[in-house]
Amino acid sequence: MAVEIGGIGQSVKRKEDARFIRGKGKYVDDVKLPGMLYMDIARSPLAHARIRKIDTSKALAIPGVVAVITGKDLVPLNLHWMPTLMSDKQMVLPTDTVLYQAQEVAAVVATERYIAADGVDAIEVDYEPLPVVVDPIKALQPGATLVREDREQKDNHIWHWEVGDRAGTDRAFADADVVVKQDLYIPRIHVSSIETCGIVASFDKVEGKLTVWMTTQAPHAIRTVIALVAGHLGLAEHKIRVISPDIGGGFGGKVPVYPGYVLAIGASVLTGVPVKWIEDRAENIQADSFARDYHISAELASKKDGTMQALRVKTIADHGAFDAAANPSKYPAGLFHIITGSYPFEKSFVEVDGAYTNKPPGGIAYRCSFRVTEAAFTIERLVDVLALKLGRDPAELRMQNFIPPTAFPYTSSLGWEYDSGDYGRALRLAMDTIGYADLRKEQAEKRKRGELMGIGISSFTEIVGAGPSKNFDILGIKMFDSAEIRVHPTGKVMVRLGVKSQGQGHETTFGQIVAEELGIPVADIAVEEGDTDTAPYGLGTYASRSTPVAGGATAIAARKIREKAKLIAAHLLEANPDDIEWKDYKFQVKGVPSKSKTMQEVAFAAYTNHPQGMEAGLEAVDYYDPPNLTYPFGSYICVVDLDRGTGEVKIRRFVAVDDCGTIINPMIVEGQIHGGLTMGLAPALYEQINYDEQGNIQGGTFMDYLLPTAMETPNWETAKTTTPSPHHPIGAKGVGESATVGAPAAIANAVVDALAHLGVRHIDIPITPWKVQKILKENGVAE
Amino acid sequence: MRFEGTLDIAAPRDRVWSFLTDPKQVTTCAPDVQSLDVTDPRHFKVVVRAGVGPIKGTFTMNVEFTELVDQGHATVVARGQAPGSAVELRSTMDLSALDGTRTTMKWASDVTVSGMIQQVGARLMQGAADKITQQVFSCIKAKLEAPVTA
Repeated sequence: MAVEIGGIGQSVKRKEDARFIRGKGKYVDDVKLPGMLYMDIARSPLAHARIRKIDTSKALAIPGVVAVITGKDLVPLNLHWMPTLMSDKQMVLPTDTVLYQAQEVAAVVATERYIAADGVDAIEVDYEPLPVVVDPIKALQPGATLVREDREQKDNHIWHWEVGDRAGTDRAFADADVVVKQDLYIPRIHVSSIETCGIVASFDKVEGKLTVWMTTQAPHAIRTVIALVAGHLGLAEHKIRVISPDIGGGFGGKVPVYPGYVLAIGASVLTGVPVKWIEDRAENIQADSFARDYHISAELASKKDGTMQALRVKTIADHGAFDAAANPSKYPAGLFHIITGSYPFEKSFVEVDGAYTNKPPGGIAYRCSFRVTEAAFTIERLVDVLALKLGRDPAELRMQNFIPPTAFPYTSSLGWEYDSGDYGRALRLAMDTIGYADLRKEQAEKRKRGELMGIGISSFTEIVGAGPSKNFDILGIKMFDSAEIRVHPTGKVMVRLGVKSQGQGHETTFGQIVAEELGIPVADIAVEEGDTDTAPYGLGTYASRSTPVAGGATAIAARKIREKAKLIAAHLLEANPDDIEWKDYKFQVKGVPSKSKTMQEVAFAAYTNHPQGMEAGLEAVDYYDPPNLTYPFGSYICVVDLDRGTGEVKIRRFVAVDDCGTIINPMIVEGQIHGGLTMGLAPALYEQINYDEQGNIQGGTFMDYLLPTAMETPNWETAKTTTPSPHHPIGAKGVGESATVGAPAAIANAVVDALAHLGVRHIDIPITPWKVQKILKENGVAE
Repeated sequence: MRFEGTLDIAAPRDRVWSFLTDPKQVTTCAPDVQSLDVTDPRHFKVVVRAGVGPIKGTFTMNVEFTELVDQGHATVVARGQAPGSAVELRSTMDLSALDGTRTTMKWASDVTVSGMIQQVGARLMQGAADKITQQVFSCIKAKLEAPVTA
């Protein structure tokens, strides 16, 4: 029975894959409208420069070029600046100064994509180079080159944010037996989704209605932003339709509003003709929002016996030229204060300072719930530094310190209330699966022979599912989410959601929640997202919030339907509603299983034979405001062998034990974990975007930015424990990002472990062969 | 990036000097010149097509002789832009007469390239620069060492 329904816990095959694997997905670039024009963007080659002159005459002379837009053209429309999702603003096009390389300088609209590109090449810009600052630490020093002349504040400091007990933490450090300190840099990386960003904007001058198809993870929020930014141009929210079609990966990079979107919308509103803009790969890496870029200094205080007591963290956050991160308003450093991780620190204090530099904006949550990756990496690295200092086994030290399962709900010293967890169980399972004790023996023997093998652990705790409206909003919009369920007369179902899948499998998993709650086979349930004209309002998909928030809305909306359905069933069964129970996916008269009605029978009756006095139909909406966040966790163990000749790190084994509470679809969860692990491997060993002193990007193409492929990816071994969230309607916690968050520390810890006997305590990621080989050479152990 | 070298030319110093400091003459040896616009003896604007590997662009270069000393020492600053790329050259040149018919030129250039050409072509830059340098210098030698025709 359960398998036919395809409810919670079943590995139902992904419904969306039928079109994806046939190449029948419909992405923004598949949208083609009659008379559509194409836009391309001229970008700055310099990281900081005054624009003396922009000569568009040669571009305009090219047959097929319809218009060239510069910043000065946008001034009368008041569209040359736009608000970011944080309390900052960002240039749409510059009027006089460019602040980073690849910044948008002008846009060309033409009858063909290639003509638009020719137009871009024909634009002549006379730049006067200005001094460049790319290092946030230098940017915060007195006398540093000023990035943002438009601000009243004449330095590069954006904000200071702190949380915790500063004085108490300082006292705890002063009194501690043992203090370890580690500086870490978590480099700037890019989400590099397969599909780049793009838009088709179509303004109907007769109806006054704007329809946009765009690559956005948050279509409703975008609709509201368009109404707020362009309201003065006559765009009202009921005449704006945002459609987010199939998306080829988002990972946080498709949350912000990019200037290209605004330009294409502006071009369509002015011309009344549809305008398409699709960025190319280099534009995507060079100009779209980056992730990470945190310079962290972390200290941990403990007793001699290893009992962790206090944590103190100071961070400089490089936000580029505009603070265009997409954090909840209240938290400029996101949820970085989950940095206490899986350990019960009595005292802790965290402070973060944001800095402007001549680099592209961002600080987006790359497959992590707002700076959680930075936090998890720091604490899990720091615990290993402490283990080395104390000469303790890192697994044993973790076991000694974990927040015990009996302590939940547990309130951390930085104010988060962890919902549930059993960290020791997850680590034990990971140790048993990988054979931890035997690996340590093997390592000791290999060390005697001069072979370099390391074992790394990461026992991370995540914080996802933003979020409770009392604390979480973006631009003032509370971070609830929504589901609307309609059961048709024949028992088939339409579910519409305020979130938006980018590959996560929502059409399947949300169908399974409804299937479980209503007893209707998942095959009979259609899930639709991403069209603001039809879907209920929601904040979108990022920060692993779809299942914790929209999943809650879906379950509760389905339960509202079931409540009404029960009354109809009682009517059909001629019984008192109190005598009706929901059992085996049917309404039964208590104790009389032969007297039952299926949901399909009830649905038909809801339209054909509903009780007099009751509203006809069978549908429900729920806007779910979660009472708390959810706290998925896991323990990962990685085994590496180092090549003493090349310095290459070879991942021999990687065991990932995840606990994301109730699992809706085990196959999809496993897929999420595999993808997440690969995206955790990426920054650990390969990915980094650097800039030279002139602000030239050093990783602006896939020649220089090394994305792991199947060649680099090891065989991931996954396992699970299940500790349901006590406050979530189905006990689910969210898993989309756990592996990205947890994996980098396990890999880095393994490499440091392989070199620890040489005195190595830390290596900044990405741990490239060059870095390892340098250490090997310095210690005379290179081959 | 810094490039430097020495070039022996079988021509008297005054002839080498007047060739290299005359915008009209010296640009005959620049790669793929599209146009030349001499503002005054010390300033000129030249449009050249250059690139690294498949990444080519038309560079509009504003060139200034910042120092011209005693037919022996010169410095040049050239700043230019191509779509998506920018380049700045700061060059010095010192001429010394080996004898009445031969001249040695010591030269050095600091080149800053930004944008597309830098991003895509960084690892090809040295080779491309060497090739252009070689072409330019063999052109200069050929022109200066040719018999003087009235």
